[in-house]
Formats: sequence, structure tokens, C-alpha cells
Amino acid sequence: MNQKLTRRRFIKGVIASGVAATTTSLWYSATGADRPAGAVERLLSINVNGQVRRVDVAPQETLAHTLRYKLGLTGTKLGCNRGECGACTVVADDVNIYACSTLTHEVKDKAVVTVEGLRAADGTLHPVQAAFVAELSPACGFCTAGQVMSAFALLKSNPRPTREEARQAMSGNLCRCGAYDHYLNGVMRASGQLS
Amino acid sequence: MTYMHIGKDFTPPDVEGKVTGAARYAEDFKKDGMVFARMLTSPIPAGRVVSIDASAALAMPGVVGIFTADDLPPSAPPANPALAKEYVTYIGQPILAIAAESDLIAEEALAKVVVEYQRRPFVVDPLDTLTEGGPDPYPMGNTLIRNTGEAAAGTTASGTDVGRIKWSIDQVTAFRNGREPAGAQFGSEWEYGDVAARFAECTTVIEEPFVTIGQPHHSLESRTSMAYWENGKCYFHGSLQSHTVGHDVLAGMLEIDPANLVFINENTGGGFGSKIFPYPNMAITGRFARQLNRPVQLRITRAEEFFIGSARSGMQGWIKIGLKDTGRVGAVDVIIVNDAGSGGGGSGSSSAEHVSIMFQPEAMRFRGVSMYTNTTPRGAQRGPGQNEMAAVLAPMMDKAANMAGLDRVAFRRINAPRADGKIGERQGGLSSSYMPESIDKAAQMFNWQEKIAKPRQVSATKVRGIGVGQGFHTAGSNGYDGLIRIAPDGTIYLHTGVGNLGTYSYAGITRAAAEALQCNWDNCVIVHGNEALNLPHSTYQGGSNTMFTETRSSHVAALDIIEKMKEIAMAEFGGAIEDYSIGGERVFLTSDSSKGMSYGEAAQKAIEMGGKYSGMEYPDNIHRTTQRSVQAMQGTGLIGVAKDMLPRDGAVPGMAIAFVEIELDTETGKFDILDYSAVAECGTVVHPQGLSQAMNGGGVWGFGMAAYERHVYDPQNGLPANVGLYQSKPPTYLDVPVTMNTAGMDLPDPQSPVGAKGIGEPAQGCAVAALMSAFTDALDGHLFNRTPVTADMIVNHIAQNGHNTGNLKTNTF
Amino acid sequence: MSSHDVMPEMSLYQPVRVEDAIGIANQFADRGWLVGGGQDTYGWLKDRAKSADALIDLKGIESMRGIKETADGIEIGALVTLTELSNNPLIKERYSLLAQAAGKVASPQIRNVGTIAGNVSQDVRCWYYRRGLNCYRAGGNLCYADTPEGMNREHAIFNASRCVAVTPSDTGPALVALEAQMVIDSASGQRVVSAEDFFVGPNVDITHTTVLGSGDILTAVRIPAKWANAQFYFEKVADRNAWDFALVSLSAAMRVNNGVIEESRIVAGAVQATPRRLTSVEQAVRGKARDEATANSVATLASRDANPLNYNHFKMPLMDNLVKRALRGQA
Repeated sequence: MNQKLTRRRFIKGVIASGVAATTTSLWYSATGADRPAGAVERLLSINVNGQVRRVDVAPQETLAHTLRYKLGLTGTKLGCNRGECGACTVVADDVNIYACSTLTHEVKDKAVVTVEGLRAADGTLHPVQAAFVAELSPACGFCTAGQVMSAFALLKSNPRPTREEARQAMSGNLCRCGAYDHYLNGVMRASGQLS
Repeated sequence: MTYMHIGKDFTPPDVEGKVTGAARYAEDFKKDGMVFARMLTSPIPAGRVVSIDASAALAMPGVVGIFTADDLPPSAPPANPALAKEYVTYIGQPILAIAAESDLIAEEALAKVVVEYQRRPFVVDPLDTLTEGGPDPYPMGNTLIRNTGEAAAGTTASGTDVGRIKWSIDQVTAFRNGREPAGAQFGSEWEYGDVAARFAECTTVIEEPFVTIGQPHHSLESRTSMAYWENGKCYFHGSLQSHTVGHDVLAGMLEIDPANLVFINENTGGGFGSKIFPYPNMAITGRFARQLNRPVQLRITRAEEFFIGSARSGMQGWIKIGLKDTGRVGAVDVIIVNDAGSGGGGSGSSSAEHVSIMFQPEAMRFRGVSMYTNTTPRGAQRGPGQNEMAAVLAPMMDKAANMAGLDRVAFRRINAPRADGKIGERQGGLSSSYMPESIDKAAQMFNWQEKIAKPRQVSATKVRGIGVGQGFHTAGSNGYDGLIRIAPDGTIYLHTGVGNLGTYSYAGITRAAAEALQCNWDNCVIVHGNEALNLPHSTYQGGSNTMFTETRSSHVAALDIIEKMKEIAMAEFGGAIEDYSIGGERVFLTSDSSKGMSYGEAAQKAIEMGGKYSGMEYPDNIHRTTQRSVQAMQGTGLIGVAKDMLPRDGAVPGMAIAFVEIELDTETGKFDILDYSAVAECGTVVHPQGLSQAMNGGGVWGFGMAAYERHVYDPQNGLPANVGLYQSKPPTYLDVPVTMNTAGMDLPDPQSPVGAKGIGEPAQGCAVAALMSAFTDALDGHLFNRTPVTADMIVNHIAQNGHNTGNLKTNTF
Repeated sequence: MSSHDVMPEMSLYQPVRVEDAIGIANQFADRGWLVGGGQDTYGWLKDRAKSADALIDLKGIESMRGIKETADGIEIGALVTLTELSNNPLIKERYSLLAQAAGKVASPQIRNVGTIAGNVSQDVRCWYYRRGLNCYRAGGNLCYADTPEGMNREHAIFNASRCVAVTPSDTGPALVALEAQMVIDSASGQRVVSAEDFFVGPNVDITHTTVLGSGDILTAVRIPAKWANAQFYFEKVADRNAWDFALVSLSAAMRVNNGVIEESRIVAGAVQATPRRLTSVEQAVRGKARDEATANSVATLASRDANPLNYNHFKMPLMDNLVKRALRGQA
């Protein structure tokens, strides 16, 4: 697409924005014939916890916002909304990421797992969850979903981490209560190294 | 003593929800028609709002309303207003809120509001306003004047005013240089014993200046709240540490009958002292919702949580400590200038109290003044006063002990409070103290004798530091209500109005009731977190006091219900109340256990008998909140309800002692904690895992205070430098030891029916003190006299480049 | 004081070819914002400290992914994440310096999405600038940090020019040490600049930290074979051991033969706006043994000519100490 894009050509593809009050900024429909290459479609199908969910997502919308406010998955917490605390950690294609610092459109081709997606169909807790209960890992609990998801991602790639490997892997998850020792015990228990 | 439940681990019922994401916090609640409110905050550190033009914002589609200081009852300084108008006193102070159909519209609208401010001079370092001619943070002055009784440490009291205290340049200069400011004026002072006479008897005397920098609480859950009104009642989803004790306060903030408030708060994402009581911001949510007649969520961002989420007060001080040749601390004289931010009280007296109990000086004087600055309001933070004093005191006491030729641990044991120990200005007694035993136990865990003998030089660039420190906080109160209901199916509902701030004390305290009832824990249900579920008036949760205070309330409610069950059985089987026993969830004649009934059967009888048995009648000394809860449950089972009137006197001391071994890199200023061992003197251990959580978490907080966290304000423009989490630097997984070793002394306090005392605050105090002590030990006895001690300070010290921060300055970042 | 928190409304493009991305970038010029991992993007936008009309998400461009061997070394796609970089066997084997540096960035979650291109082109962390103040770097005409009362512990000790911010990049100094080449595509074609020239100080361009201009896309980073399997030293000293920026970092690559340093490139991070090559040290140690004596011989050479501010004198001994460690080969 080396053709010169003109402002007018851009505007052809505009559909209504999510914010009624603002008319100055624009985005583009996928269906318009003149749609510039790469402009995103607003209606997305995203795979969350093994289910494909159809959802209307603003271009600039963060994954944390979509999960919490559009899909009702409030287990993912917003501690800082700046990618500094890890409370919003989810797993996308087996990798833990900050959902507050990811655009939903960035994960449209990925399998997203949130804390609500770990339980087995029969309600059994995931080994990480069960271990965190056994070790009384959570304190106030606000960071817990993120800790669970980082531990989940860790054990996928490294089923029997050393305690040192675990603390490195978990180090993007702040716990203001300081329950690190209990979370690490939980990780060691979940990996079958503590009973 | 052999217990059925006390001292045993159990799984608090909220844990599963926390690991599955089902646990809901205030921001997780939605309500049909809910609008999103966001706040506009002050860009200036001091001044007043001249005018607000929100017309453009209000004209935006989707904007539903604005809320300003004019929508609130007037508040006078130094009370911390929910929204500022006449007195803007710090950058980030909320000015107004706008509600809209979406969060994005609300934020776009904020950008269209035009606020005209008139600036005033500002000040960010307490000593700058204390100096004659220096700027005042408020037009009317710079310090708190108390008009009525003393308020709790670190809290803003009613009956306060802003006054002015100034020191001469000579006095401030002397103070900055580590000398007593002769003739200076103070805001509060106390003294016991003959200080001059005791100093005269001392053979070792040290004088030291010190600075501690406050830090934000940064609870991970910000204080977002959501409120809506239905049929004249306000349903309020909030984030408080305490629960029912704040009920009437919040109702007052909304100017409604307490009966018309339902407060819902099952989980609280941390508080650390900043959410003990309802905070000003909550008034906005409830009132705005009423004004708009729509549910309102007022989201508090991380930056706003820094601004309004409270912070620890800082100290600038001077201390003189005298040791007698016996090793006893003969006298202490201490001066503390507190940084109270733009509101709140300093906690200097509590700092002095820490010295008084931990080292039992024969005579002591405290003089203090609490200065306002144009920085965020300060309030109670985990051991306000005590813990920052523990931090700077430990290395000084080490210095004194070393000068006197005493082992640092032996010195602490000589001076440790025993059961006959005294505390503070009034030299009141203690409910219990096993501090000497705790010191011995921790020293053994840590292997003090062996460690202290190790060489300090580990390698060419690494030195070892061995530290010891103590923490203290008063940990108990009394006079709250207990409430239990047994349903006809035998389920035992243990109601508590204790909040769930993450310590699991809300659950731990109900174990005292289960213990008294000798019942199977699986048949118990803890009822908490939602006032619609009928909760009793329970204690505030600050000052570690829950375990002591509420095991008492739980216990008396259990005793009440047991007595009622015996009376019910008596009505059936005759005899006297003394003839009955309980066991196996039955009440029966001791002489013939076949003559009795199950708890469930007793509950069924209670419904039939009515009166006090089914809550139709209740004691008149219980709180109105408890009364309403009992009324709502009338006729649904057997009700046990009582106010804690058990005897109590003296302070209830929660205490802890910690040992730290570090390896410090002299080329980078970085350190690793190789060993952390701590013992809690918390009375009987009720919940071992919960105790471990408290001690480990307190340890992490201690490391944060010692080495990482601090408030920083730019003196040029009043801007805070450390707003976000990465700048505030709470410790991460990689800044704490790989494992931590903690234990409880596990000896009972006689004034708790199960022997329990709290431990939350001392858990931090002992850790920060031990780490500070270890820094000094690693660096040949060098005292930084400041928290935090950051890597740059250590590098500067070792380079001897003269660039470490002196003169008691607070902002040195 | 802004308390904004939600992403402002803007458009989003997800091109799959470099030329499309360049076209869109040129269309929006200064109002377009290239996004890789986005970890130094969303905060700016949420804070309303910077704004853009369009986000141009480059992650769909397959040609900018992957690490491959070339005739003279390796080529790292701009979208390679810091996690991939730190785990890649080829990088670990031949250029462990870069793997180590990448592994010390921020946190695992950020490394999982943050790219090498983003790490080298991220903006400075001066807290005044980040707060949205109208300072030199933001196009204004004053500096808040370089004043008698400025809170400047984290700021520059070298080469300040009105602005005293430092480079926050951990991989930047490593790339300079490795003589990396930065591949930049634009509408006028492709150009390759050395890592050393890629970073620019305030004396050159006070509002940018790199040579990247509007419509330029950093598409790859090439590392020459010259430094493969050399002796390396990397260390980052920050307050916190996770999620923090360097107070000082040091990246060193040394060609050592029979214990003698034949050639070295020693680069400090966080001491000035760009990675700082310590050429005086490199020259002083040429031909000397890589040992304690050599380390001690350079003493304070690295920090000579530093101009510390009020609160950052510590960076001088800290940098000198890290140089010593690099030369003696151990902490």
C-alpha cells in the first residue's frame, strides 16, 4: 500500500466511535473498501478461558478493561494500571503479561487465560490455586490473581522450578502485604516439591 | 493449655475466592445505571480555588453531574477535606468530581473544566516552616493545636486547630547540627522521673540526630468506592480495614440515620493504617449518588491513592541516651519534629513511647512539635511513631551498648520489659510481657552467639552485618460486642463486624467462640463483610488490637449462648445451671448425658421460648448497631449476644524481636539478607499460618522502610517525585530474603480468654530495626541516622566523598 | 496534577508489512505513535503527558521477528522480545552480554512483551519530564532537575546540555559495546547506523533520544561476529532488584588473548543521555592483563571529568567500581 493516503480517504471508513462526546478522533471499519491497510475492526472475537467471545472493543482499549468491564471477569485486578504491580497479570499463549498494558486488539489471535479460567470443569482448583490455599499464600488478596497467573505461566514452562527460579519468575508481581514467602511456598507445593 | 481450635491452622473461608478471582472488592461491583466519577486534583501545592467553570464539561453528552466542595458541609483546617476550596494544601488534593456514563467521558470532561487558583507560599520540609520567617503551609500557621483530648496516634482528631510555632534560626541550626535547640517551643511534652539526676548517674551517654522519611501506604487496592440509594437506604461498597465500627461515622458523613446505611466490604485490598475509619473521600461517593439518584463508582487511580491514601509521618529529631554501669538505660531525652503533611497529627509521642517500653529507662523526657507541610496528608501507618523510632534507635542503642562494652543482645535483655514493665508518660503497667523469653528464643533461632563471632569481611568487596531490633505496639482494647446465632439445623453462625484487611484476624477471633462452644469447625459459618447480614459492633482494626479485643467479644457471646442453652435444657430436664455441661455440640446434664439436646434442638426451643433466647430481648448495654442486627434476626434461632465487660487494665503490648544477617557489597551499596529470624511476643498463637503471614509481611515492610521507600517532594514547586509504585519502591520478591524464619513466643496474656495479643505493627518494627542495626554493624559502626538507607548513601559513605545528606534535610533524592 | 487513567480515544493500525507501517506513520507524522510491546507507550497516553491520534502496532509484521545468523554475525528482528533475547541459545552462547542485559529489564511480564527496539528507543525517566512539566525535553525552556534544589539523584553526571536526563536502557549500552548496527527503514529506503550513533544526546536533539525521526522504523539490530564469544561483563545497579531502572549499569566486551586485553568496549548506562563509551578506560587497559592490578590501575579514570549534580555524586564511585569489576572479571 504505497499509495498516498489522504485525509479524505481515511475518513471514508469511519464508523461511530465509542465515546459519544468526542468527535475529533477517528478510527476505521474493516468493511470499507477504502479501508487503509492495517486499520482495525472494532468487533473482535477473542479467545478467553477457552471460549470465543464476541465483543465490541475500542481501538485503544486495554485488555484489563475488556476483561473487567465487558466480559465481567473482575478477578483480574487493576492495582496501578501502569504495568508496575502485576495485579492484572493474565496469560496469553502461555506467557504472563500485564493486562493493563496490553491492548485487547493485540491479543485477538491469542488464547487468553485469566484467573477465572484455571478451575477444572468439575470445579476442582488448579494445583496452583490449591497450593496457594494450603499455604495461606494470599493476604489481602488483591494481588493474588496476578500471583496465581504468574505461577501458572511459570509451571507451564518450568514444572519443577527451584525456589530461586520461582522468585525470579514471580518478580513482576508486587505484594504490598509482603506475602512473598507464602506465595513461594505455594509455588513449591504446586510443583510437588513441598508437601 | 490444650485447645480444640486455638493454635491450630485452618482455612479462612475467603481464601478460596482470592485464588479463583471470585472474591470481590469495591471496584468489582456494578449496578444498573451506574455512572463513573473521576476527580480533578490540584496542580498547585498551596492556595485557594477562586472559581470553577465546568460549563464546557457539563455540556458534553454523557456527562451527568459535577460535585464540588460546595456540595459538602464546610470543613475547617486542619481537618482533611474531601474536596478543597478555600485551603488547597498539596498537589494532588481533590478539587471536584465529575460523573459520566463512561470512565472515558468523565476523564475527557475533567480536561474541559477550568479552575482558577490563587497561589500561596508553600513548604515541603518541616524545618523550613519551623524556622522564623519561613513559609507556612496554611495561611494561619504551621502546626496542630489540640483543643480537646488526645487523639489516637496518627489520626486527625476533631477539636483541632492550626496554630503557629517558630524557632529562631539559631535553634534550628543547632537542631540541624545534632544539638538540643535550647529554649525552643514545643507542641507537646511529657516527662517522668528525674531526667537530669539519672543522666548524672550514667557512665555512657550518646547524643544523636535522626531523620526518618515518611512513605505512602500504597495499599494495592485503591480506595475506590461505589454507592447507590434504594428506598431511602444507602448501600455502600467501600474499602475499609474496620467494618461496623465505622458505620456511624460514615452515616454521619452522609448525614443519614445509621439505620439507613448498609456498608458492604467483604474484602479489603490492604490498608496498613490508612483505612481504619471512613475517610473523607467516601462522602463524595455517597452524596454524589444521592444527588444524581444513580449508582456512582468513584474510582481512585494509583496516583490519587498516593495523594489521598495517606502516608507515614516523617521525623527529624535529636536524642540523648544514658547508660548506667549496670547496663540499664538510666535516662533518655528525645525531641521530635514530625512532618504531618497537610493534615493529620504527628506521632512523636508514640515514638517516644517505643523507647520507654523497649528499654524501660528510669527517667525520660519527650518534647515534640508536629509541623504541617504542603505534602500529602499523613495518618497512621503500621506502628505510627513506634516503627520509625525503632528504625533509628536500634543502631544508636548498638553504639551505646558497644561503648559500654555490652553484648547488644544481652543489653536489650537487661532492659527489656518484664511483666512488671512500665510504659510511657504515665508509667502505666502492662497486661503481660514475655520479652526476655522472646529475646532468648529468637537469639537461639538465629544462633546469635555463633553469628556475632563471624568475621565481618567476607571477601574483598563484601562485608557481613549482624543486626538486632525490636518492635512494639499497644495491641488491645475492650468493650465491643459479640454476636452468635445457632440455627435449628445446628449451624453455628459466628457474626463479626471486624473488617477483612487481609490478616485473617476476622476469622481468627471467631475461633475463640468455637473454642468455648467446643464445636466442630465445619458446622461454623463466619458471617462478616456485609451489614445486610446483621453484624455486631466490633473493634476498629488498627494498632494490632483485633486478636486481643475480639477474642474477648467472641468469648463473651459464646458464654452467653452457652448459658442460654443450659437454661433451655434446664427448662426441659430440670436441675440447676451448674448441673449442665456442653460437649459434642450438645447441652446435657453432667450426671446423665442422655438428658440433653443438640445445639440445633436448643435453637428450635429458643425460637419457641422467645424472649432473650431468640433475640426478642437483648442487653441494653450493646451498641445500636448490634441491637439492629439482633432485631433483624429475631425468632430465627438461638441468639448469643453480649458486650465485653471482662476485666482489663494496663497496656496490652504486642512485641517482636528480629535478627538479620546481611552481606553488603561495598562497591555497589547493595545487600542481600542471608538470614531473617524473628519471634513474636503476641501471647498465645491463635492461627500459626496467620501469624507467619503477619510476621513475614511485617518483615517485608520493615525492609521497605529501612532501604527503599520514601516520600520525596521537590522544594522548588511542591511536586511529589515518588507517586507511582515503581518510584515508591515497595520491595519486590527479589528485595527480600529467599526464606524467612518466624515463630511466636506462644505464652498467654492473662487478659484475653485465649491469651491472644496482636502483632501486625511490631512485625515491621523489629525488621526495620534489625536491618538498620545490620547496616551499622557491617560498616564499622557507622550511623546513618536516617531512613531509608539507600544504595547511593552507602556508596557515598564508603567513598568518603562528603556527599551524604546531612542537616536533617528531608528531600534528598 | 493529572489524575487521568484511561486510554484516550485514538485510532489503531495493525499493518502486516513494513511499507504499510511506514505509509501510515508518514500519514500521521508527529500524531502517529509506533508501538512494539507498548510498555513505554500506554503510561504516557493514560497520563495525558503525551498524546497521539493513531497507534501503529507493528507486532503483526512478520519480517521484523526472529533471530537469524548472517554472514557477519546475527540479525535480531526489532520485535524480538527481551525474554526471547535473554533465552535465545545463540545469543546466550555468543553474546551473553546482551542476554544478561535483556534479562535485567524491569519485570518478567514486561520482558515478555517488551521488544529490543522498544528498549533502545524508550524515553527517558526523568521524573520531572514524566510528570508532564514543560521542560527543555518537552519543548520548553527550563530544566527542573539541574538546579540547586532539584531532586536529581538519578540524573546525568556527563554531557548534560540543558537536559540532564539519562538513558534508561539496559540493552543500549550492551549493543554499543557489541558494535551493533541498527537497521532503519523509511519511505526513502533503508539505512544502517551504528548503535553508538543511534543514540543522541540533548546537544544533538533535545526532544529525542535516538536518530529515529518521523516515518523511521527500527526494523532490526545486527551484531557483528567480531565480538562473538568475547569476554563480557554486565552489571546493573538499581534500588530494587526487579522493576527498576539502573542507577548505573555497565556493559563490557573484551577480546582477551593469553590473559591480555587486546581490545575492549566498555560502556556505562544511566550516567548521561546516551550509553557512555569509556574510551579512556578502553585505551588504558589495552594490552594489559584482565586482572585486579589492571582494574586498580584505572581507578577513577572512568568518572574523570564528571559533572555531578547535588544528589548524584555517588554515580562516580559507583561507575568506577563497576569498571573495576568488569576488568577483574568478578564482583
